[in-house]
Amino acid sequence: MRRATTVALAAGAALLARRALRRRIGASPLWPMPALEEPVSGHGTRRSTVALRLTVTERAGPAEGVVRLRLAAPDRSELPAWEPGAHLDLVLPSGLVRQYSLCGDPADRTAYTVATRLVEGGRGGSREVHEQLREGVELSVRGPRNRFPLVPSASYVFIAGGIGITPILPMIKAVEASGTPWRLLYGGRSRATMPFLDEIVGLGGTGESGGTERLGGKVTVVPEDESGTPDLVAFLGASPADAAVYCCGPEPLMDAVGVALGPGRTPYLERFAPGAATAGAGFEVELRRSGRTLPVPADRSLLSVLRTEVPGVTYSCEQGFCGTCQQRVLEGEIDHRDELLTPAERDGSMLICVSRCLGKKLVLDL
Amino acid sequence: MSNTPQPAPVAEERIELKARNVSFAWENTPLHWIPGDPFTGHTINVLHLLLPAGERWFVHVYKQVLPLITDDRLREDVIGFIGQEAMHSAAHDDVLPHLKKLGLDPTPYTAQVDWLFEKLLGDRTLPPGRARRWWLMERVATIAAIEHYTAFLGNWILNAETLDRRGADPTMLDLLRWHGAEEVEHRSVAFELFMHVDGGYRRRVRTWATAFTALAFLWQRGARFFMDNDPTPAVGRASLGAFYRAGQRGMLPSTPSMLKSIPRYLSRTYHPSQEGSTAQAVAYLASSPGANGGH
Repeated sequence: MRRATTVALAAGAALLARRALRRRIGASPLWPMPALEEPVSGHGTRRSTVALRLTVTERAGPAEGVVRLRLAAPDRSELPAWEPGAHLDLVLPSGLVRQYSLCGDPADRTAYTVATRLVEGGRGGSREVHEQLREGVELSVRGPRNRFPLVPSASYVFIAGGIGITPILPMIKAVEASGTPWRLLYGGRSRATMPFLDEIVGLGGTGESGGTERLGGKVTVVPEDESGTPDLVAFLGASPADAAVYCCGPEPLMDAVGVALGPGRTPYLERFAPGAATAGAGFEVELRRSGRTLPVPADRSLLSVLRTEVPGVTYSCEQGFCGTCQQRVLEGEIDHRDELLTPAERDGSMLICVSRCLGKKLVLDL
Repeated sequence: MSNTPQPAPVAEERIELKARNVSFAWENTPLHWIPGDPFTGHTINVLHLLLPAGERWFVHVYKQVLPLITDDRLREDVIGFIGQEAMHSAAHDDVLPHLKKLGLDPTPYTAQVDWLFEKLLGDRTLPPGRARRWWLMERVATIAAIEHYTAFLGNWILNAETLDRRGADPTMLDLLRWHGAEEVEHRSVAFELFMHVDGGYRRRVRTWATAFTALAFLWQRGARFFMDNDPTPAVGRASLGAFYRAGQRGMLPSTPSMLKSIPRYLSRTYHPSQEGSTAQAVAYLASSPGANGGH
């Protein structure tokens, strides 16, 4: 009898508790867990794994050995915005991923335009673009991302080598539209191989200045078969000393620009093969917490140097996409070569697997 | 205690763990990505609610354990594990804005999951020494228990052919199978790490009980959250019965198979290599569109 009473009481209490709980949950369905005030999940800005499926809607040959592709969403919907200097990751049919600068009009939100030159004996990406990406082909695209943004400046100097004109072209249009003074040195093997030549000469307004000997006009075109290699020192010497210098082209050209500018001035460079962890100059890294300074030779990554010295350093992909090796940087100018970090994150941290130093020394919180 | 049964790993070729650079195009994935079955889709969608914060937390905890590892091979595995988990977290995180665009804002729920992993299970202000180590070990053991279930689910999704037959969205299936395959691929790491730094059986049982209860609580809550907030009229409600029946049809893991996996983890001879097949996982990864550039 007593047992039956106990069971009845317990059952009654359970029913009451259930009703109270249901009412409480009904009033606020996600009771009783607190929430983080500033949600993290779903609110990041990296968007590193999102791809767009785009279709090649137009294919043209603006110069010898160069194809220009227009890429749009199958339903022609609006695409994410971009600014001059931005690039796309194209995932080619074979799975190869290659970066190409956007060279169209940022105001055209329905399509992206890229141009690529066929590199004989290259790594295969450009050959695939030239042979496989016909009109109507669908491909995955990541980005756009900008590692080569225009910084505010009183005047600009642009130096482009061949297909390196692609990120420079929208920059020139933006700078021209804003009325800021600019000058361009555009070099290439021969006029026939230099894309967008007419468009650029048109932008120069007064016409091209025709070779390195005359430095008055906005645009100086230097085809190697006519005028030899460009005289960078003379060209830069005739430009204002506080101009922002942007250069995209073959590695030797970019090195030469750095040398011609002299110490104290750094050009903004866009490399054709980002992620190459070991292309660049050597520098020093100071580990502030352990009080050590190590040399990082030109042919080694910062990660590979640190791995031998700091056993706990984490890393995984070694290509700048997973973010495992992100480290806080206390001092020094970082040469970001990853595809992952947001501008805010780039401010005080780096991915040590691919990124390097623009100056002589980096100080890490290690 | 030489007569205590020991974990018995199944011999398999050791593979190097590497993060894969995945990408997924979401624009064509509908909210009900299993046609005509919102409940199953939403039950699986709970993964997108739990994993971004959860796997970020794995990475956070494991970065603290690295200095305690004395075995070089295991350290390499844990580092590979960290990279893979970071990509999993990012990939699931990138689904959330798409859900929001489709009219189902997951933020009220994910902000709570963020709180759970960042605050409740985060680094507590503990004195260095025993207390701090105890809290680290509890979390390492909890991750080992959770990884038992991620490997279980990974193995299930790799073999869930019913989802293909029912016309599930290929991009979502690829995300789940890429993730599942990497979970199968690295299924031994969390357990081996736990055995290496602690290995206490009582801790294993205790953290399993906590993890299992928390997962069951969060999962039913997430499925109810999705069903209640789905903008489509008359999607119905989440229920245990619907879960059981979906399991019978092969649309979700079956309830009996889930119950049977419990004693396996609690067995003293348990080793994760006894579950699932690395060869199958690696074969899927080699053909996954998302893991091979996303074409």
